[in-house]
Amino acid sequence: MSISRRLASGGLIDRSKPINFTFDGKTYGGYAGDTLASALLANDTMLVGRSFKYHRPRGIFSAGPEEPNALVTLRTGARGEPNTKATTVELFDGLVASSQNCWPSPNFDLRAVHQLAGPLLNAGFYYKTFMWPAAFWEKFYEPAIRRSAGLGALSGLDDPDTYERSHAFCDLLVIGAGPAGLAAALAAGRAGARVIVAEEDFVLGGRLLSDSAQIDGVSAASWAALAEAELGTLPNVRILKRTAVFGVYDGEYGAIERVSDHLSVPPPFAPRQRLWKIVAQQCVLAAGAQERPLVFPGNDRPGIMLASALRTYANRFGVTPGQRIAIFTTSDDGWRSAFELQKAGAEIAVVVDARTEVAPDVRKLAGNAPQFLGAHVSDTSGYRRLTNITITDSAGQTRSVAVDTLGVSGGWSPSIGIATHLGGKGSWSEEKSAFLCNDLPPGMQLAGAAAAQWTLTQALENGALAGAKAASHVGLGLQAQKPILAGDEASGNNPVWLFKGSRRKAFVDLQNDVTATDVALAAQEGFRSVEQLKRYTTLGMATDQGKTSNVNGLAILAGEIKKTIAETGATRARPPYVPVAIGAFAGLHSGKHFKPTRLTASHAASAAAGATFVEAGQWMRAQWFNAPGENDWLQSVTREVKAVRSSVGICDVSTLGKIALCGSDVGTFLDRVYINTFSTLPVGKVRYGVMLREDGFVMDDGTTGRLSADHYVMTTTTVNAGKVMQHLEYCHQVLWPELDVQMVSVTEQWAQYAVAGPKSRALLQALLGGACDVSNEAFPYLACAEFHVGNIPLRLFRVSFSGELAYEIAAPAGYGEALFNALMQAGKALGVTPYGTEALSVMRIEKGHVAGSELNGQTVARDLGLGRMMSVKKDYIGRTMAAREALIDPDRPTLVGLRPVDRSQRLRNGALLFARGMTPAPDNNAGFITSTAFSPGNNHWIGLGLLACGLERHGEIIRAWDPVRSGDLELEVVDPVFVDAEGARLRA
Amino acid sequence: MLDLAHIPAFANLRSMGDGRGVIARERRGIAVATVMARKGQSAALAAAVKEQFDINLPLGPHGSGSDAMSFLGTGPGRWLVTHDAGTPRFVDSLAQQLDSLASVVEQSDGVGLLRLSGPALLEVLAKGVAIDLSATAFPAGSVAVTQIAHMGVTLWKVDEAPTIHIAVARSMAGSFLHWLEASAAVAGLVVDS
Amino acid sequence: MRIPCPYCGSRDASEFSYSGDATLTRPAPDNADAMFDYVYLRDNPVGVHREYWYHDAGCHAWLTVTRNVSTHEVIDAVLAHDEAAS
Repeated sequence: MSISRRLASGGLIDRSKPINFTFDGKTYGGYAGDTLASALLANDTMLVGRSFKYHRPRGIFSAGPEEPNALVTLRTGARGEPNTKATTVELFDGLVASSQNCWPSPNFDLRAVHQLAGPLLNAGFYYKTFMWPAAFWEKFYEPAIRRSAGLGALSGLDDPDTYERSHAFCDLLVIGAGPAGLAAALAAGRAGARVIVAEEDFVLGGRLLSDSAQIDGVSAASWAALAEAELGTLPNVRILKRTAVFGVYDGEYGAIERVSDHLSVPPPFAPRQRLWKIVAQQCVLAAGAQERPLVFPGNDRPGIMLASALRTYANRFGVTPGQRIAIFTTSDDGWRSAFELQKAGAEIAVVVDARTEVAPDVRKLAGNAPQFLGAHVSDTSGYRRLTNITITDSAGQTRSVAVDTLGVSGGWSPSIGIATHLGGKGSWSEEKSAFLCNDLPPGMQLAGAAAAQWTLTQALENGALAGAKAASHVGLGLQAQKPILAGDEASGNNPVWLFKGSRRKAFVDLQNDVTATDVALAAQEGFRSVEQLKRYTTLGMATDQGKTSNVNGLAILAGEIKKTIAETGATRARPPYVPVAIGAFAGLHSGKHFKPTRLTASHAASAAAGATFVEAGQWMRAQWFNAPGENDWLQSVTREVKAVRSSVGICDVSTLGKIALCGSDVGTFLDRVYINTFSTLPVGKVRYGVMLREDGFVMDDGTTGRLSADHYVMTTTTVNAGKVMQHLEYCHQVLWPELDVQMVSVTEQWAQYAVAGPKSRALLQALLGGACDVSNEAFPYLACAEFHVGNIPLRLFRVSFSGELAYEIAAPAGYGEALFNALMQAGKALGVTPYGTEALSVMRIEKGHVAGSELNGQTVARDLGLGRMMSVKKDYIGRTMAAREALIDPDRPTLVGLRPVDRSQRLRNGALLFARGMTPAPDNNAGFITSTAFSPGNNHWIGLGLLACGLERHGEIIRAWDPVRSGDLELEVVDPVFVDAEGARLRA
Repeated sequence: MLDLAHIPAFANLRSMGDGRGVIARERRGIAVATVMARKGQSAALAAAVKEQFDINLPLGPHGSGSDAMSFLGTGPGRWLVTHDAGTPRFVDSLAQQLDSLASVVEQSDGVGLLRLSGPALLEVLAKGVAIDLSATAFPAGSVAVTQIAHMGVTLWKVDEAPTIHIAVARSMAGSFLHWLEASAAVAGLVVDS
Repeated sequence: MRIPCPYCGSRDASEFSYSGDATLTRPAPDNADAMFDYVYLRDNPVGVHREYWYHDAGCHAWLTVTRNVSTHEVIDAVLAHDEAAS
């Protein structure tokens, strides 16, 4: 029979809305407004998991996002989310959660045996162990460690939820909606500024929800509700609840909104989470502060909690986690917790303060509870739940007190992590016993406890001032703020970083199981900087990023190395400040939608004709077409090649870049970017061109046609279209702005198809009738024209990548599918065959045309047999650098054709080439194979390659060595043109 | 004679979800051209456009004109021109009218055009557009060439209802609709015929 | 990071492609040594830098941006075109 720890009345939960939830298979009851942690505590379930390394029993420690212990796996199946903090999970009906890192249960964990190995598992143990024998690492140690390591486990299933992104713009971003944040938002919002308030919790108010103070005559929680209501009436203010700002970046902030995590499933079409990119002119960081635990022997037992968390559970959730509560503190704030608990009806067994002097007004807060000053807790007992504490007083005397709950209060650390994301460092203030941040990101102010302004009055006043200042920065008047009446509580603190006592472990980092002894060990072994301490001990590296351990750890280190805390410094926080699901960063860009997909006009028709598609950049291109009965790609591709070379084929070439270039100086411009001359190209003609980078290496190639005196259309390779456009615009705008030239991409405007093969002319005649004369006299090789059929503009180019009689015909893309179908229809009687990129590639290899494999950024025009195209009469991009000695060296690898001596052998791209007698090794080769294809016309495999002194070695037998695929065969070096060497078909 | 059917870019535009948060309609049969001023001819071009079309040529990222004919400033010395009246070979005649003042390039099939409106429109666009589209930062008449989900788009806010015209590369229409559906469905995407 | 395109206004840096030092002038083609330096050699200054950015997802303008490479503060952005013409 479980005990209820729920107070009979009080709290901000809605007792009219009971909720059922399940934890570790057991069903419990809670209320709307509970967190999972508060509901578990209400049901007297304190023990929720086992610690990372030692598998020690751990209980709920805090009431907020700084929680180190209560990590659970939320939900089940594909939606299971590990390492979720029970203290921030908003309870909903039907919630299912389970504990982690323990088996079979938190109460009885077989891995607790790790504790026996304690002495071997101290800091840095993995640098000193599991090394011998070496072979055991891969086979035994690593798999064993992997099984034992980690906290929660991923489901391994696809995430069924969606994630979204959104952008927002504002004058002021307020981070945190406690008293300082609400005051800042009100001040700026009333002044007319565009304000966004981001609050991590599902309720606004921050500490106001745990405080029984009065503000302007109403309770703190009511004041928060009134502030929220007023902000809701201002159209220029947006409130984002359940939204954690996780990072400051240059000029913008990243935040994660938990849109549907508090619902059992996301509503239709709603995302689970939304990633915000917020561009804010000003920012007020009012993220509050986190209470520091105390470091003493036995300080990790379930039932030991942050003192302020106890008052949050009492005042916000109506829960007292235990029967007999003690307080151990070095600060005035610990006494306030005692006061709030007593007010809520809890029994305070004892208050222990390490300070020898405490103000009488503060001591009064504990009422009649026994008090010890100048004393400390030196030991505890109770395995699954705290049962006793041992108090050592100023005289050295010890006494044992039976308690089941201990609230610890070591002072407060301002939550400045986000403020340090752009490189600013925290600096230690002895007066405040806290790290403050003075080197803030541009436009950011701190307010409230985040600026070590501890009291409620200070938070409200400084928040309002910060909000008003922010509004004035964007041009709105600096208005006087009406004063707010609130309490002014005591806030003294005198930290003690480490208490001695029994020989039990004194934990510093609860989540990563780092003890005070580990810190001392690190210092002893020479890891004396705070950054080294972190990496060597893993202190501060768990999912809580050291929120309750960093300062204690570095303070203990400072003591060890005999330096001040200011001299020791703190580690730097980096985004994300809270864990963010990777899916949230991806948003819609996952799976097939990782990047946009570009489809050509013939896509649907090609799919209907049996096409298999391949990605070319963002485009989908038909790779080959599967005819009925074909199930081998080589079979399909060979059939397509044979069909093109014997009758006619159609290939969609729309994806190649097409750039319109116009203006009175366009010819001059082209002469400066191409190695060959285009200003002399007659109207109605096309020419093949090669473009270099300024360092002399080949950048791209294509055919450029002249449609009129001042209008050219350039083609580029598919993948380089964007790069060439960027290059041309650089040349125009930066290098030669004096030229009258205009350029724009028309890749999307025109659907374009290659019509190739001996019967291609017949097909076009059937298609076009009299619209365009395609006889050899009227339309010779390399002619181009534009004409209309009705009102539809068409373009025709006589160019050939395949080496056959061939054309490319273009129509506006909206007519592209119809044109494809019309071409297939017109060619039906001629045996027309659609072909894809594989067949395209086979044919260009047979003709020795270079493509991407040869234009690899390491070749110059001369290497590719294109040296004669380089004009000597004009300057062009890359000309000077291409003349460098190493790039005109005749021994450079140059383009050759390759044929296997044993005709039955297959050639492979990338195989290295060697002279016959040489011993092959990866670093002394004479070149490599760049492209290979099965040539139907030759009935064997062929290849193109780059071979040192290639032009002089035709006829030589060389060796191709392919250690990756275990290939080793002999090749004959030949001319790179394997079909129709005279080029007769082209000009037919 | 060869007779080819024309397929609109957004043939697959469809409604999704409940509600009328975003209302979408494809603008079909619009002639589109890129107009780029020739060197030294900016003033003459502006005068010619004013005289021939009674439109003030925008000098920055704004739109001038109406649905029937508009010039959208898309870059220094360049405009996207749209013409709604269904005149055959409009771009050719525009090129002749502006001969020697500007280079005119046909783009009617290069883009798909949508007209978007609805009470949730700005909230939905914010999911993809990293520009402040509010009334103060992006008033009616504003034009932006930017991206949504890695796809180039041109936006023109026609009025403060808000009504926004958007142009997207034709080949990416499918990917764009995927983004639009996923982003607008929660508020309700309705196709207005 | 946001870059204030002089034509389009403030835009996310992802709309641009970075292209390096904007203080160099393409030398006369017959000066091979100068061309080598122009292609390969770069200073790497701390602090304020003038550099080219191309607004490829926007107006396609090439910009000369003055930026502090240590703090990422963008101080100025003008059309490279205007600079070259003046």
